[in-house]
Amino acid sequence: MNKYAVINTHVHNVDGIAKVTGRATYTFDVKLPGMLYGKILRSPHPHAKILNIDASRALKLPGVIGVVTGKDTLGVKQGIWRRYKDLCDEQILPVDKVRYIGEPVAAVAAVTEEIAEQALDLIDVEYEVLPAVFEPLDAIKKDAPEIHEGFERNINVTRHIEWGDVETAFEEADYIREDWFKCGGQAHMCMETRAAVSSYTPEGKLTVYSSTQSPYYMQGLLAGVLGLKEGNIRVISHYVGGGFGGKFELDGAIFCSAVLSMKLFRPVKIVYTREEDFIATKRRTPMYYYVRTGVKKDGTFCAREAKVFTNGGAYTGMGATALYLTGFFHSFPYRWRGYRYDGYRVYTNTLPSTSMRGFGAPQAMFCSEQQIEWIAADLGLDPIEMRRKNGHYPGYEVPGQATIASCGLDQCFDEIQKWIKGKGKLPEGRAIGISACGFMSGGIFNWFDTPYSFSSAVVTINQDGTVELYVGAQEIGQGSNTTMAIICAETLGVKVEDIKVHSGDTDHCPADLGAWGSRQTLMAGNAVKMAAEDAKKQLLEFAQAKMGINIVYDLDIKNRWVHIVARPERGMDYFELVKEALRGKDGQRIVGRGYYTPHRKGMISPAYSYMLQGVEVEIDRETGKIKLIDSLTAHDCGQPINHLGLIGQLEGAFSMAAGYGYLEYMPYEDGKLMNPNLVDYKVIRATEMPEAAVAEIDTYEPEGPYGAKEAGEGLTNPTAAAIGNAIFHALGLQMKECPIRPEMILKALKEKEEKEKEGK
Amino acid sequence: MEKKLLRLTVNGQEYEIYINPKTLLVEVIRDYLGFTGTKRGCDTVSCGACTVIINGMSVKSCSVLAMQAEGAKITTVEGLEDKGKLHPIQKAFLDHGAYQCGFCAPGMLMSAKALLDENPNPTTWEIREGIEGNICRCTGYNSIVRAVEAVAKGNYREEHHE
Amino acid sequence: MSFKCPVCKKEWNASLQVARHMFGTGDKPHKAWVDSQGLSFIDLMIEQATTPGNKSYVTLAEIIEKAQDKL
Repeated sequence: MNKYAVINTHVHNVDGIAKVTGRATYTFDVKLPGMLYGKILRSPHPHAKILNIDASRALKLPGVIGVVTGKDTLGVKQGIWRRYKDLCDEQILPVDKVRYIGEPVAAVAAVTEEIAEQALDLIDVEYEVLPAVFEPLDAIKKDAPEIHEGFERNINVTRHIEWGDVETAFEEADYIREDWFKCGGQAHMCMETRAAVSSYTPEGKLTVYSSTQSPYYMQGLLAGVLGLKEGNIRVISHYVGGGFGGKFELDGAIFCSAVLSMKLFRPVKIVYTREEDFIATKRRTPMYYYVRTGVKKDGTFCAREAKVFTNGGAYTGMGATALYLTGFFHSFPYRWRGYRYDGYRVYTNTLPSTSMRGFGAPQAMFCSEQQIEWIAADLGLDPIEMRRKNGHYPGYEVPGQATIASCGLDQCFDEIQKWIKGKGKLPEGRAIGISACGFMSGGIFNWFDTPYSFSSAVVTINQDGTVELYVGAQEIGQGSNTTMAIICAETLGVKVEDIKVHSGDTDHCPADLGAWGSRQTLMAGNAVKMAAEDAKKQLLEFAQAKMGINIVYDLDIKNRWVHIVARPERGMDYFELVKEALRGKDGQRIVGRGYYTPHRKGMISPAYSYMLQGVEVEIDRETGKIKLIDSLTAHDCGQPINHLGLIGQLEGAFSMAAGYGYLEYMPYEDGKLMNPNLVDYKVIRATEMPEAAVAEIDTYEPEGPYGAKEAGEGLTNPTAAAIGNAIFHALGLQMKECPIRPEMILKALKEKEEKEKEGK
Repeated sequence: MEKKLLRLTVNGQEYEIYINPKTLLVEVIRDYLGFTGTKRGCDTVSCGACTVIINGMSVKSCSVLAMQAEGAKITTVEGLEDKGKLHPIQKAFLDHGAYQCGFCAPGMLMSAKALLDENPNPTTWEIREGIEGNICRCTGYNSIVRAVEAVAKGNYREEHHE
Repeated sequence: MSFKCPVCKKEWNASLQVARHMFGTGDKPHKAWVDSQGLSFIDLMIEQATTPGNKSYVTLAEIIEKAQDKL
């Protein structure tokens, strides 16, 4: 029985009609009067000094209006970790040298896209090619080329997490196992490639239309690199064709179009081709994991030690956060007497790696959940029961890191056990693999160094009872606008259709850190709830006065009916109340404000989601091909808010996570991506996607609005491991590299057969 | 290069334009005629974001030279709606949350419509095959399949639409 | 018993925790201090990453303990 009027009901996405009728205008569609088209010239070398750039031939081409290089910029080394200046290392249009194939070197603006493209061939760049290095373990060698000045052995950043007495904990273990893993990168592959339209005008104001996950971050970062005041920069981003963690940093489209526009005083549009999107936008961080785990023979976890090298590529990006989170979530969702993680992010001359949905956790789980499965098999223990006895529970404190409030993990184990039992005996070649995990609901860290609340909201009530909701939370397809409207409607006591959501415009919306780290439902949701409560309280003052009720009674609003909580039949119409309140306030609309910043919530996040996923997989022994048959995820996200949105996030996350597990391979050769197109880079298609059902586990998260916590990123974490575990059960293979490709399975099968022959 | 005359009908309206013969149909639809609902997501005819219906068939409009569509009747996502009255497939998409960021939705809707026009009672597998050429990065496709199934089942029948 | 970081003077209960902080911070002043003690910051870090166990931390923790008197 749903106790809410709006929350967790079947609500259409508030942007739905615009999207299904073709009216939604993405940055991809933006056209401004006098607009020019920009194209970027990119480095063919993985590592080289820029000696000279001569654009004179390009400038002579009719239709070319201007060319910019690093010399036309302030040369500011920017980065999203503004608090740590050392890690702000990327100029985007470099002045002195290039560090990866595809890095921007110059940008052209012309009257047509075709002319801009032709002009690229007419720009002459003189390089001094430098030796390059592509793998982290090569880059830390003493004789490796230095990629960034002052970063010895190319070590960009390290992160260390430790609790308990690890050595003693290992001594307590009856069984110790160590494994090495290699986790691949992944492309965000948003349907809308990177795109921006920048327009600088003589008043000294810059307007940027951008496909972004955080208009506020773009505004702040642009101010830093362009030498403008934040207040003179307007970022507009109403419809975004996907983000997935790749669109909340400054990219070449935004920066180059802004620099061109500031030089030429005309709007400039840059849209990446799909190929550019593959080779020149940051990717998921590839990682090398060493894991040593010690357990008792009854399956109690004692100690774990993980040493990880990540391939940082040419710049920091969000890679430092991924480095920390991978080490933290590698312990999840279990209790360890001793845990140690040493993570090293290493610069290489490859595409920079950064955040991507899951933020280091998919890699962490691929290693952790498979090794745990192998340990259970080695010891002859039930893999679910072994996990269960070590699982987190409400109130558990991850030493020095986090206090777990709500946690429905135990119920997740029950659901998946039921599901597996219900399947009975599976046909030959098929098996079920499971993986547990948890994830954060936004981070507590302020490495962006913002003075603003992490999330803010303003609620304004019009004379006709309609509500303007201003949020900085960004809609990128995950349903944020709808979720915020639902929370506002529930709190204020009206319907979703009464709410008009304003987002994606820094001129009109409050600052918000944006859509990443699965933070918005909890953080922006809390801000919206507070703002709506503020507005409701002001509104109810008039109702109290008008209705003259006894002081012991409370008033509330539900379904547009203002009423006494104890006697709901006594009340008045919401619309009438609004009109009287307006008159009572001298014709001023009621305005409610809300905000949220996590305080003293541990080292990572105010709240954690939990889940256990089971995936039924079929493997063809002849071809090594993997087929996904079915799946169920038992999922604890606290109180679900946006019902359709939640299902969409689960199924969507599954499709992306499955891609990471067995499809989306990014092979590099000497720093060059070998498959930068959608023919050779495989994303899952409708014919390959199995059922991805969800079993919602009911919990209440005290820190979240109405008990809600994250849903959407955590679900990207388990699938690669679950697929690996299914392969283990079907064929007895331990796959230590992802994505798991058919040739790898065939090779492993052959090696297994040969080993068995030798054994005889 | 000399511009050539192109005549085609889009969403029931006849158009006459002069174009460079190298122009792709998707460029005519988006840039010349201003129907920006249709999108582009790749350079290799792989993603389906540009799918439109030409003479009843779903076609990736980036794979067709505009001149090849001379005299053709084309429907884009803008042509599904009838003065504010949504097509059943659009209503089904809304009801089932069969889109998230929405960038693939126009192409997906056209593939779905073409499928149902040709095969009003598809099996679940036939639906999946019918949209196999359309990549969706957000939804995982299952909500789209559910939406198409709902239309095929007749849930939107009283809102009959050509 | 509390131990101070020789560079930024922050305090922890165990010298191992100070060692972990110095590795984690990794900025010029912290690196310079470690190198000035006759160790190589970078070699210790790389050894920590490429061998099982905690040798590098223990080595640095011992040096930090000895340096407490001078702080």
